[in-house]
Amino acid sequence: MIARLRLSHFRNYESIEVGWSPNLNLVVGKNAQGKTNLLEAVFLLSSGRVMRASQDARAVRHGAESATVEGVLQNRDVLSVVLKRAGRKTASVHGSPLRRASDLIGRFPTVSFSAADLALARGEPQDRRQFMDEEMSQIFPAYLRDLTVYKRALAQRNALLKAHAETRLEPELILPWDERLAEAGSALREARQEWIQELSPLTSAAHGRLAGSEKLSLSYEANDEANDRGGFLGALRSRLSDDLRRGRTSVGPHLDDLVIAVAGQPLRHFGSQGQQRSAVVSIKLATLESLQGRIGRPPTLLLDDVFSDLDIDRRDELVRSLVQLGGQTIITCTEESQVSADLLREANILRVSSGRVS
Amino acid sequence: MSPFPGPLAALIAEFERLPGVGVKSAQRLAFHVLRMPVDDVRRFGQALTQARESLGFCRVCQNISEGETCEICSDPRRRADQICVVAEPKDIAAMERLNEYRGLYHVLHGLLSPLDGIGPENLKMRELIERLRDESMQEVVVATNPTVEGDTTALYLARLIKPLGVRVTRLAHGMPVGGELDYADTATLLSAFEYRREL
Repeated sequence: MIARLRLSHFRNYESIEVGWSPNLNLVVGKNAQGKTNLLEAVFLLSSGRVMRASQDARAVRHGAESATVEGVLQNRDVLSVVLKRAGRKTASVHGSPLRRASDLIGRFPTVSFSAADLALARGEPQDRRQFMDEEMSQIFPAYLRDLTVYKRALAQRNALLKAHAETRLEPELILPWDERLAEAGSALREARQEWIQELSPLTSAAHGRLAGSEKLSLSYEANDEANDRGGFLGALRSRLSDDLRRGRTSVGPHLDDLVIAVAGQPLRHFGSQGQQRSAVVSIKLATLESLQGRIGRPPTLLLDDVFSDLDIDRRDELVRSLVQLGGQTIITCTEESQVSADLLREANILRVSSGRVS
Repeated sequence: MSPFPGPLAALIAEFERLPGVGVKSAQRLAFHVLRMPVDDVRRFGQALTQARESLGFCRVCQNISEGETCEICSDPRRRADQICVVAEPKDIAAMERLNEYRGLYHVLHGLLSPLDGIGPENLKMRELIERLRDESMQEVVVATNPTVEGDTTALYLARLIKPLGVRVTRLAHGMPVGGELDYADTATLLSAFEYRREL
């Protein structure tokens, strides 16, 4: 849970300090004033990376060489990230630098939801894998480690395949990479299967509260049969000639998908926009519950402009669900009137206008 | 066109060719050289040429050496039946600081990395295998970094060496001694837990 946030030269902010309530925080302002930037700074401290698909350098304010984002958590941990216009970003805890910015993951867990998350329902398998990877990395350090190893070993193995498209590949050359892949890959797949099994009933329940009778289910769809290290190695071996021809690895969790179905129909192909939206909100609420169960305290929820597209009933239900979960919540919206009066009374309201917060 | 006089532009260009030096740093270094006393610059130039001309690689262990064989390889007090395999010459310095290891070394000059086009033929592996044909050889200690490439190179070497009847070991990884659990980075603590041992 975050208590204070200090920004300097981050996006459109010159230098500000913001205090956060442990409960509901409303960031109110017209479009393009810096609401989302504030949310993004909080996300950066949680994940070590910028939220939108943009480069670090673009988060540095015009005319500055670097941007600093510093947060004081409620447990008094001080996390900070420095983004540079040129060069690598650095992250530190209590002033001591971490080896990688991603080492911040797990210290300040968050769950975020913005319009871009609709890709979970209608986007590519890659969007759903990224969702699982991000959320699970916050819960399980071993998952983050295996993921890092897997991605690197996969890139190396694919490079080896491409280099030997025309020339003979000695089996002993590819075997050590296969072993690394099989070990990390089988661990990743098993962990994802387990977590989705936990998430599915939580999602159904949240969806029931939010959207009524339609039944929502999640299932993990593995690309191949490899279930353990040995099976994985065997599959890699038997697909080798195919892989050599295609120049990439055709076995493994980097090809898996998460199937989201409403009333038994895959949402990706059959869902209406409304169905997709409530499905994604349900998944995020369930994620919040799962993280809370695993780490023993509710993660901070970051909601970017989610009210504008929800009708009043669903909006109220969403806010009720959140209050019930009882963690720190940060919501951006354009009008205070989007939130019911009794909630407004309890909320910490931050008004944002052209890079200033009051 | 460079805005600098020819010799200065040439100096900047030379600095820029060094690893980790960008345009700005190259300019800063070049301007610093212009402000240095001429004697200092001359000594610097001599050090560069001398290092490059007088140093080569040991024909046994491939470490940087002034003669044909390095000091460690020609030291009769070192155990000749044990070889510690490292990626870079600088790793030898780290092992030597232990004052514990009394065997010999072998420098691979890199790690397997298909992404960088580096295969076994680009590393000093054939030279290592040649050394292991000596029947008195007992153990190879693989001391590559605990990265994906370091681990994979170790795995590759182990498969290559074991059939020769030589014992292959790998450095353990875990908690830094004297470190506090609370401050260990998660990855280190995780690996220390996974490789825990019975008391």
